[in-house]
Amino acid sequence: MINNQSRDKESTTPSTVVRTEFSEIPQNDSLHQPESSIKSQLIQGAISSSPLWLGILPFGLAYALGAKTAGLGPLEIQGMSLLVYAGASQLIASGLFASATNGFSIILVTLIVNLRHVLFGTSLLSALGHLKWYQKALMAFGLTDEAYAVSVRKLLNKEAGPAFLVGAMVSLYLCWQVSTFLGIILGGVIPDPSTLGLQLVFPLSFSVMLMPYLKVWPGQAAALAAGVLAIAAKLALGGNWYILIGAVGGTFVGFMVGKKSEI
Amino acid sequence: MNIWLVMLGMMLVTYGMRVLPLVAVRVKPSPAFEQLLSYVPPAVFAALIVPEFIIPHGKLEFGPALFAGAIGVLVAWRTQNMALTILAGIGAFVLLHALM
Repeated sequence: MINNQSRDKESTTPSTVVRTEFSEIPQNDSLHQPESSIKSQLIQGAISSSPLWLGILPFGLAYALGAKTAGLGPLEIQGMSLLVYAGASQLIASGLFASATNGFSIILVTLIVNLRHVLFGTSLLSALGHLKWYQKALMAFGLTDEAYAVSVRKLLNKEAGPAFLVGAMVSLYLCWQVSTFLGIILGGVIPDPSTLGLQLVFPLSFSVMLMPYLKVWPGQAAALAAGVLAIAAKLALGGNWYILIGAVGGTFVGFMVGKKSEI
Repeated sequence: MNIWLVMLGMMLVTYGMRVLPLVAVRVKPSPAFEQLLSYVPPAVFAALIVPEFIIPHGKLEFGPALFAGAIGVLVAWRTQNMALTILAGIGAFVLLHALM
């Protein structure tokens, strides 16, 4: 913690901006704006994430139902949403609780499913690195797929500051809690959301977020390689390794292609 | 087995993955590394999207999910509009699901 101060000083000096394929000319420097714009960014972040509520709601309902079936009590079901806050691993854990898997295995599976989150924090370093350690520690709690997806482009292009991400996180967290709660209360009276295709809300909304990255060949290569690798890994391994394998592989392919096209 | 203890473990590993890179990295990433990181978003999105459309239930499937995905991606590409894309994709899924 001693080197915190020196880091903070470092970060106040203007940093050299690395031009990447996807960076655009920043509209304004959102990091040095007055309070009012922080408030508006919080609201903007919350609004931008609102289409994802449609996907979170059935997901939260499904989790609560699954956990209930697995024999978890209402307090435990809501508690897991409040503490763990990771949709896919909560759903998987519920199934494992039902089959009385030992606790250590459940924690290990959770670790594997959420390994991809390491990429999110790393990828946002240039946008969040200057913050105080406790601000980063607090924000990290809400760094889900959805929060990352909604914010990454705006943050890395400096079109929005960390407040935007916080707004998205709070909105998504609240939605997850409400969905879980509704699932506990409503029990079995709701229809199976998968017949309505609501599980596709996430991939559909993520495709909108992917589009801007497909304007240049290295971005296309990264996405193509990631998609192919993810399919292969899911078919070959099953489970949840495919996201990490596709993401890491695609990142490297994009980088190599980008380097080649520079020369 | 104490469920709360397991949940605490789940929380620690999940939070650990999210917080580690943000607070543990003490040096400024090199330009080359930042260049590498700039390809994380398209790769993550593609890895999250593609299997959901093509392998919805564990094996290759040319069904409603793929149809919905194709329509959705087309609308996403033309409009870049989130609401329209979701509506078109879900609409396509429901339509085909009802027909099948």
